Amino acid sequence: MILYAFILIPIITGALIYLIPKKQVLWFAFALQIGLMALSIYNFVLIRINGPYEVVLGNFEKIAGITLRCDTLSGALIMLTAFIFLICFLFGLFDKFMNNLFIFFFLTLQALVMTIFLSRDLFNIYVVTEVSTILIAVLIMFKKDSRSMYDGMLYLITNIAAMTFFLFGLGFMYKIFGSLDMDIIGAKMYDVQDVKTLAVPFAFLMTGVGLKCAFLPLFSWLPKAHATPSAPSIVSVILSGLYVKCGIYLFIRIREMFMPALEMDGIFLTIGILTGIVGFVLAMSQKDIKMILAYHTISQLGIILIGITAGGEYAYYGGVLHIFNHAVFKSLLFLSAGIIISKFGTRDISKIRGVFRRMPYVSIMTFAAMLGITGAPLFNGSISKYFIQSGVKGGIVEYALILINLGTIISFIKFSQMFFGQGIREKIHVDFGKKSALTIMGIMCLLMGMGGTLVISGIFNYNVSINILEYIKKTAVYFISLAAGYFTYMKYLKKTRFIIDGLEFELSVNGIAISMTAFFIFIAASAYIIL
Amino acid sequence: MKINFINAQNTAIILFFIGVYGLCARRNIIKTIISLGIMGGGVILFFLSINRTAESMPPIFNTDVAVAADPLPQALVITAIVVGISVTAVALIMFIAMYHRYGTTNWLKAMRHRMEREDE
Repeated sequence: MILYAFILIPIITGALIYLIPKKQVLWFAFALQIGLMALSIYNFVLIRINGPYEVVLGNFEKIAGITLRCDTLSGALIMLTAFIFLICFLFGLFDKFMNNLFIFFFLTLQALVMTIFLSRDLFNIYVVTEVSTILIAVLIMFKKDSRSMYDGMLYLITNIAAMTFFLFGLGFMYKIFGSLDMDIIGAKMYDVQDVKTLAVPFAFLMTGVGLKCAFLPLFSWLPKAHATPSAPSIVSVILSGLYVKCGIYLFIRIREMFMPALEMDGIFLTIGILTGIVGFVLAMSQKDIKMILAYHTISQLGIILIGITAGGEYAYYGGVLHIFNHAVFKSLLFLSAGIIISKFGTRDISKIRGVFRRMPYVSIMTFAAMLGITGAPLFNGSISKYFIQSGVKGGIVEYALILINLGTIISFIKFSQMFFGQGIREKIHVDFGKKSALTIMGIMCLLMGMGGTLVISGIFNYNVSINILEYIKKTAVYFISLAAGYFTYMKYLKKTRFIIDGLEFELSVNGIAISMTAFFIFIAASAYIIL
Repeated sequence: MKINFINAQNTAIILFFIGVYGLCARRNIIKTIISLGIMGGGVILFFLSINRTAESMPPIFNTDVAVAADPLPQALVITAIVVGISVTAVALIMFIAMYHRYGTTNWLKAMRHRMEREDE
């Protein structure tokens, strides 16, 4: 019954809130979030004690009905969803744009994200993803700014096209397996007679999912959607911190499902490395604060993909842990970027100076997130990156990871320039809700770093230990990268056109469609060769 | 043995890729939305043709037909059609709102409009 509650309670409450035009509903929604958080923790404890459980909607047979199944990964992601939404409501507690309509959309989106994490029926996942795509396009355009019109439209068209690919893949899957339940398909995968037939459905599904998680040629829609000027910063938080994780989650599930017959980890590992590198290169060249953060999302998604596909349990759990860590620090960065943009009235990073002097508290919390994303010792990013690196030890992949981290450091040295410098001394007031949201996230950054092994053993019951010597070695690498990054930025990059003018790289809808087709053909061809 | 290539499945695949071609090659926003519709039509035809033979009958009223057509994909297809219609409607409404702002039906011009506003 709890699983129904996660999906139904937000939607029903959202609809009720829309009908009652009162100011106090925001507090009611906030209380609901606290309740959902408590419920998700309770649900997770239940799973850890009793093991995964499932319900089939309407008491149909499993082969025909929709199954909701909650295992440790789903349970943990449900907790993450409840947590991020709780923080968003806390952050926007005193904001004017949080009207009834916005809360309705927001709560519905929460229910849809939870459904994606819980459902085991591929067609159900398709429908829910399609509805959430429409909702997000509306949220992007929420303030009807003329720039975000284009961003929302681009988001809608590309994502719908991707989901049509996904749906065609589902048609092939049903034809081969006679069911759309992930568990049943996974079990039948051993009995497939003619494995070559799997190549095309796999490519269709992966094209849809790959666009959702912004793999290398398909990421062009993401920065526009995540960093659109007019959307409230909590929408960016949900998109960048949480919603892209739905894509990664689907990638993990579909990879598991096809595992008995088809393994393409090598190709996805390469795509992950390239995505990481391209992400930070483009991030370095941006002027817009939110754009920088959005491109870093692409880069970090590359790291998560490396962790998942690199092989070995160490790297896999590192990658999964990085999903959670990335959600925490990227949310914090977007929240504080939202405060800075609204208080300084500009998004251009070269025009903002002296933030630390005017908003010391916000700046300290942002530093925690920056230390997290660059993988500083004791902060959360370092632990997950440590596990991924230990999993791929001694290969070219390890050097690629160090390179990606170096790029991230350089880019964040550029980002941190806005905190220093002279400016008006006058302090800026930040309201209580925003401060407490930032504080919770900042503390989470540190706690998940100090107790990274506890998080993994707590969530996945997989005991890992950190080799102190190795960790010190990684710390030394971090400080060397920091020094090298600082030196490179100050000495060479600061004056280049690349940093000052920025790099225009943008695909139109036609470009994205062509790269989608190319990605599809590439995956289909390589799957056909591997099988 | 003669194989008939003009069957529902191949037609569906061809329709789908005609839609993909439209997405790749047309700059008109309306045509992009129409292309999405064509892709959706291909998918619907594909779902309907799954596990269907010429002799199969719908198992309605008369449940002891010899070869029953698989009812599940047809149930799925109804959902897919509804989703497709609503998505097209939303896309068209957004296009109208965008047209009022930008005054163009061309993706590239819309992109240029957006870039110009960036500098403001």
